[in-house]
Amino acid sequence: MNYIKFKFIVLLCLISVCASAQNIAVKGVVKDTSGEPIIGASVLEKGTTNGIITDLDGNFSLQAKKGSVLVVSFIGYKTQEVTVNSVQSLKITLLEDSKTLDEVVVIGYGTQRKEAVTGSVASMRGDDLRQIPTGNVTAALQNRVAGVEMTQTSSKPGAGMQIRIRGVRSLSASNDPLIVLDGIPFAGSINDIDPNSIKSLDILKDASATAIYGSRGANGVILITTIRGNAGQKPQVTYNGYYGIKNAIEFPMMNGPEFAELRRQAARTIKDLGLSASPVTNSEDESDETNTNYQDLMYRTGVITNHDINVSKGTDDGNYAFGASYYLDQAPIPTQQYSRLALRASVDQKLGKYMKVGLSSNSSYSLSQGSQINTGDALASSPLSNPYNEDGTIKRAVKSGPTDIYKVWTKDLLEKADDKWMSDTKSFASYNSLYGEVSTPWIEGLKYRINVGLNVRTTKGGGFTGIGVTSTTDPNAPSSASVSNALTTNWAVENMLTYDRTFNKHNINVVALYSAEQTHYDRTHVAVRDLPADHFQYYDLSKAEGEVTITPNNQGYYESGLMSYMGRAMYSYDDRYMASVTFRADASSRLAKGHQWHSYPAVSLGWNLHKESFMQDFGWLDQLKLRVGYGETSNQSVNPYQTLGLLGTNKYNFGTTYLTGYELSQLPNPKLGWEYTTTWNYGLNFSLFGNRLSGTIEYYSQHTKDILLSVNLPSTSGVGSYMANIGETQNRGFEISLNGVILENVNGWTWEAGVNFYHNQNELLSLASGQDNDEGNWWFKGHPINVIYDYQKIGIWQENDPYRNILEPGGNAGMIKVKYTGEYAEDGTPVRQINTDDRQIIEVDPNFQGGFNTRVAYKNWDLSIVGGFQNGGTLISTLYGGTSYLNMLNGRHGNVKVDYWTPENTGAKYPRPGGITSADNMKYANSMAMFSGSYMKVRTITVGYNVPKSFLEHLGVNDLRLYATVQNPFVLFSPYNNETGMDPEPNSLANENQAVTTQYANTGLAVVGYNTPATRNFLFGLKLTF
Amino acid sequence: MNKIYAKFMLGVGLILSFASCSDILDEEPRNIFEPGFFETEQGVVGGLTGLYESLRHVYGQPYYYGALEAGTDEYTYGSQADGNFKNADLSIQGSIPDAANSRFDVLWNTAYSAINNASAIIDNGAAAGVADALTAEARFFRAFYYFQLVQSFGGVPLDLGSGELKANTTPSRVSTRNTVPEVYSRCIFPDLLKAINDLPEQSRLTGTVTKNVARLILAKAYLTYGWWLENPNNIPTYPECPRTDPDGKDKTWYFQQAYDISLYAIANPGPYALQPTFYDVHLWTNDRNKEIMLYADHNEDNAVYNEGNVTGWDGSPDGDNSAQNQAVWMVTWYFQNVQSSTVAGSWSGKSPFQRTVKAGQKFSRMWSRMAPIADVFEKAFAEKTLDSRFDATFVTTYPATYQYGTNPPSVLYNANYMPIKPGDFAVSFLPKDPGGIDYSNSVYKSNSGLGVLPGRADYVVALDKISRTVFPGLWKLGIARKGTDYNDDKVSSTRPFNILKFSEFYFIAAEAAVKGATGSQSARDLINVIRARAGKWTYSVAEEAPKNVDNSTAVIAATPATITIDYILDERSREYFGDGLRWYELARTQTWKERCSTYKISATVGQTPTVVPRYIETYMYLRPVPTSQLDRLEGDEAYKAAFQNPGYE
Repeated sequence: MNYIKFKFIVLLCLISVCASAQNIAVKGVVKDTSGEPIIGASVLEKGTTNGIITDLDGNFSLQAKKGSVLVVSFIGYKTQEVTVNSVQSLKITLLEDSKTLDEVVVIGYGTQRKEAVTGSVASMRGDDLRQIPTGNVTAALQNRVAGVEMTQTSSKPGAGMQIRIRGVRSLSASNDPLIVLDGIPFAGSINDIDPNSIKSLDILKDASATAIYGSRGANGVILITTIRGNAGQKPQVTYNGYYGIKNAIEFPMMNGPEFAELRRQAARTIKDLGLSASPVTNSEDESDETNTNYQDLMYRTGVITNHDINVSKGTDDGNYAFGASYYLDQAPIPTQQYSRLALRASVDQKLGKYMKVGLSSNSSYSLSQGSQINTGDALASSPLSNPYNEDGTIKRAVKSGPTDIYKVWTKDLLEKADDKWMSDTKSFASYNSLYGEVSTPWIEGLKYRINVGLNVRTTKGGGFTGIGVTSTTDPNAPSSASVSNALTTNWAVENMLTYDRTFNKHNINVVALYSAEQTHYDRTHVAVRDLPADHFQYYDLSKAEGEVTITPNNQGYYESGLMSYMGRAMYSYDDRYMASVTFRADASSRLAKGHQWHSYPAVSLGWNLHKESFMQDFGWLDQLKLRVGYGETSNQSVNPYQTLGLLGTNKYNFGTTYLTGYELSQLPNPKLGWEYTTTWNYGLNFSLFGNRLSGTIEYYSQHTKDILLSVNLPSTSGVGSYMANIGETQNRGFEISLNGVILENVNGWTWEAGVNFYHNQNELLSLASGQDNDEGNWWFKGHPINVIYDYQKIGIWQENDPYRNILEPGGNAGMIKVKYTGEYAEDGTPVRQINTDDRQIIEVDPNFQGGFNTRVAYKNWDLSIVGGFQNGGTLISTLYGGTSYLNMLNGRHGNVKVDYWTPENTGAKYPRPGGITSADNMKYANSMAMFSGSYMKVRTITVGYNVPKSFLEHLGVNDLRLYATVQNPFVLFSPYNNETGMDPEPNSLANENQAVTTQYANTGLAVVGYNTPATRNFLFGLKLTF
Repeated sequence: MNKIYAKFMLGVGLILSFASCSDILDEEPRNIFEPGFFETEQGVVGGLTGLYESLRHVYGQPYYYGALEAGTDEYTYGSQADGNFKNADLSIQGSIPDAANSRFDVLWNTAYSAINNASAIIDNGAAAGVADALTAEARFFRAFYYFQLVQSFGGVPLDLGSGELKANTTPSRVSTRNTVPEVYSRCIFPDLLKAINDLPEQSRLTGTVTKNVARLILAKAYLTYGWWLENPNNIPTYPECPRTDPDGKDKTWYFQQAYDISLYAIANPGPYALQPTFYDVHLWTNDRNKEIMLYADHNEDNAVYNEGNVTGWDGSPDGDNSAQNQAVWMVTWYFQNVQSSTVAGSWSGKSPFQRTVKAGQKFSRMWSRMAPIADVFEKAFAEKTLDSRFDATFVTTYPATYQYGTNPPSVLYNANYMPIKPGDFAVSFLPKDPGGIDYSNSVYKSNSGLGVLPGRADYVVALDKISRTVFPGLWKLGIARKGTDYNDDKVSSTRPFNILKFSEFYFIAAEAAVKGATGSQSARDLINVIRARAGKWTYSVAEEAPKNVDNSTAVIAATPATITIDYILDERSREYFGDGLRWYELARTQTWKERCSTYKISATVGQTPTVVPRYIETYMYLRPVPTSQLDRLEGDEAYKAAFQNPGYE
């Protein structure tokens, strides 16, 4: 990646040059392959301490013995040796070294040379992350790192993704990883972090690496380091911007003629089978000749744009960087958008010889709008309905059949309603960390460091629905408005002593930490009805004439503190044998007194085989490292105040006297503790053929016990539940990452490719004692946590299929055939009808998944592709099931386009319209929502052009890159995409964006609902450095 | 200089790290109540509010309502029924309410929590210095819920984990059932006697319990226990025990007590009274009238305290939707499927009905989960003109309400292409089939199979030919509201759900008298008080017009000379049809099987009704303990099986 410069200076040597009589003066200049001077490169006379660093123009001069060898090195470049023959002016060109580019990784409370890492750490540079043009870190990380699964849980602009590192382990507590921003545990929302500000992102996956975060390490740790200036760096300004358009990928709904035919077929079924149901007939708004596409009427072309500017400079004793960015992401749904303004600054300053202080500050203001709008009405509206009055004006609402009415929303109407129908979320967040570092002059390698984190995040939500705006019938329907305010403050103080020293071949690094932190959160929410005029919006609720509602569930408060001691020792011998030992003790306010302290040990070992003498014959082997690690961690699964028990409240009206009632809803449990996860990790790193092929293979086994569960007590105990630590889960899996340089500058061609691939097997080992399953929560021993518990469709009943009268009394040919698990009589006849015992445990997690990226460069042009894939698993598309009411197959609501059964079309996948139902939907409707989760998806294709330096020099510009990107261009190998044309990734959580949101017991499952449609984006951008 | 920096930095570090650390591990909740609050006076009083609130989770809860009505001689399952109602109806072979799907779980899962809170109030009340009159309300609720449980399930546990009738403080996953006589004699009777002694005459707040409310339950409990001791049809009890009273009394004593208490309450009604007409009892503007002694309250003014939305969709502001009153949805047919024509002479369909609460008490949201059996109109409500109760129970005429829709036409054309305006009847159910009704829908496409009679603008259906799809609505529970700001029907009912009526004293006394109790009034005397009132009209729901008629004499004249249990049950159906009492009445009198083993309903509206058998077994007189209870118990299969009522293995 030659457009990336990784300018980072390590001051190896500050010892002054001493001259001697036999010395000759050597002068020279050090440049990179593009002719740019390298500032701060080290020039050292081999075997001595005689050396110097290059100046701002890359020049150096020193006295050296004639015939001696100069070692010229700079981080990120291959070290070169030059023999000094006579007084001369040397021209030294350093070649970039792709291997050493990422030599240092952030490991939490410090950094470590990659070669010495013994835990499972995946690193990603900011520039690689930004290959995906998105405002969201999580979206940029999707499919990029083995073992790190990003799941889209909302397709709305600005929505973050659900992050799972090596699967899920907790049933009711959070499975989110800990995020650490510039060394301080992050108390905000990941959306607040501007990807433009990221220098590197390091993911700690196994417990030997995360145990230093103790009670918060179980779900993995993501360490984010923001951009800082580099020592000795000239002032540099970087601008990066792109602009793009977003086009909706429409949900595949039946058009007018198809829908009219569906109604005819449904009516025919009712008649043929003599059912008592009423066929759905055209309402006064509908006619068979009409063909309205409500999605076309509604969607716009969205805009996505980003502008980022960064300034940095460094000197020998300090550096700074600051920048700002603006990001806008518009949904195809009018008025729905997310914008963010971010500011960042960092300063490092040396104070004399032994002290260093600094700060980094990342602040952002974001505004999210229009989240109240989804596509539900547009999809449910009948395509046979005519949204226009005779005079050409748009109707307020249209009827779909006799019973259902939907508001008509067109682009224009939504845009006009912009200030009358609002859902705004305004967030300001500021994350700041300061440090001071003192080196002790009397003990070499000993440092004291204090980190102070001061963070604040405030969110204001405002909702407003103006008079009659959303009512289907009543233009005077009263307005409603709500306001919420939430505030999070967090402080953290860390006192750290580090000792880092190399004695001959022994390297020792020891860290001791004492830290404390506290997080405070509060939230209020008030809603009112009936503001007399629309101009108040949500700004003055006192003007409301209707009910004021302060809903208990929308208020919040907690304060939670954590105190910790940590020690870590890392030792390596000759870079061959490495060991790391960690111990952390955490005390949390969330636990009851006397039960607050818990401790977490971890140990890991590494062996660089390639450094052994017996390996020296394998010249093609550049690296071969074996690692093994063990550690214990937990997640802060106990919510504040949970050990105290709970008196539930409820509300009651005695006529018009309003009182609050209390009931004992949860018994106290002072013994409540964390969930504990122990992890074994085995890793292999290798690099072959001159670092042309490198990779990592890992296998892990995680076991989580004392899982926090609300134990449902039998009703006869009089109390609903109590919290307890019971239950066990485990995750086992492997991860493979490979990176290769297939062509390295062959006639100007370079081709690089990377792939990652991982598999995780999750299993619920036990629940409360004596309990093998919890059907209500869809938890089953011996199965993964993420399962569906429902009937499984195995086909469609055909006219002559045997046993239908036994299995499905009252059913009809053309209905869904589900799996029967009951007994059979001796003659093969099933003994009973299908009942709830026939529900199946259907796994959701994929067999394996991963990502790939490739880059082909020719001279100044390059083409890069980033994509991902998944094999197996279940995609739940509620559009096709019963919960969204969009596949009712009776013509009541708009219907997804499906191939349904009729007496003439018996090979169809979907059941006979108008046939047997269960409540409103086709019987076993939810079995139609399950699709194979397999897909391969190209996320972005980018074509870039780097303007030649020769041309830029005249302009005073260092780098200029132009690029065009298409996002989400195509999907392969996806049965769901093949059938529906839709994006094979979920867009909602299971309790959102459906007509009925209660049927998926595991509400953490991600599903496809009628959220904002997926888009295909086209972007153009440029990056400029001067 | 550097030394100063270093000292400064160390100082800052020490201050920041130690100054605040002493208390960061302490917890001080600011938005929850700890259980300790329940031991304060305010907590105790709030606990009582919680007990009233618990009523909402049972009364008006649509599936429990279904469990008490489907499968009786009032309702069967409707066209949109799901398993909840089909199983309860017992008319589909192999489909019965079992441990997994019987909706008596609603009662089971609510009652013990209320009982536990009541015990906590009783235990804590004295210590917190709370007046006896207040703790007496808790005693009432404990007895009330135990009474519901014992009627439904047989003997149930009195010890929830911390001792008999003690508030539970330990997470207990074991339970032992007491016997029926133990539940009555150790809890229900003593609690109610103490409650009657301590409760006030007048309500503390609108709708709170009084001496007479406790008397009503005690009278009913004595009556029910009398029947249990007698056990005329040899119905098994569980846990098995001899049918003898630990207090040494016999059934006669209990019947007499039921009679005496009822007559005392009738003579000393306190704040309660019969309404002048049956219509007045259920008219929504007259909610919380003096005849209603206990109800699960709701109102339309405050969604939070109503625990159900008052605009928009059903649901509740706090996300817990289990406190909503949705009962009437279950018994409302899809009247909105009916179509008229926008033009005369050729058919262009449009519904004459707009679904909205503005349309009044006749129009509720339709779910069509239950339909009345056709027998209802031939037996209990055979007499439809003198007695006002048929008129004020059902919706038999449906006026057009299309004016509430958008861009309403000024007129629609209905049956015979005759014009109807808003308020004109678009559909009528005819008490008697005049013959000649054309249900073909060949010209006038009602879209619901309704019939047409020459010369009538309204579609007509003969009451004996109703189906599971088309049937009269239940006017009594119909949803209506004062506010005019809401033009939809998707929110749950904002009316209180009635639980106990003063009129029941007459029925309890009459039933006790039939069972041998004696006193100043005979069963016939008592029943005739109710029937006399039923003869009085001030308004006709069907005609939508005032109707000042007093048919009392004629109605009384029709009362048989000898009152039997069957007659009382018929009379109860006339008085309490669709109130969610029916299964208990049939179970108490052990007449469920004999009265409900068949029913009639038409397969399609207008067809001759077919007789449908029900598969009622004796063991079903005890409802199954819900699966969730058995799943959560800690014990082996044998223990769990023994906990379940026999027959539901």
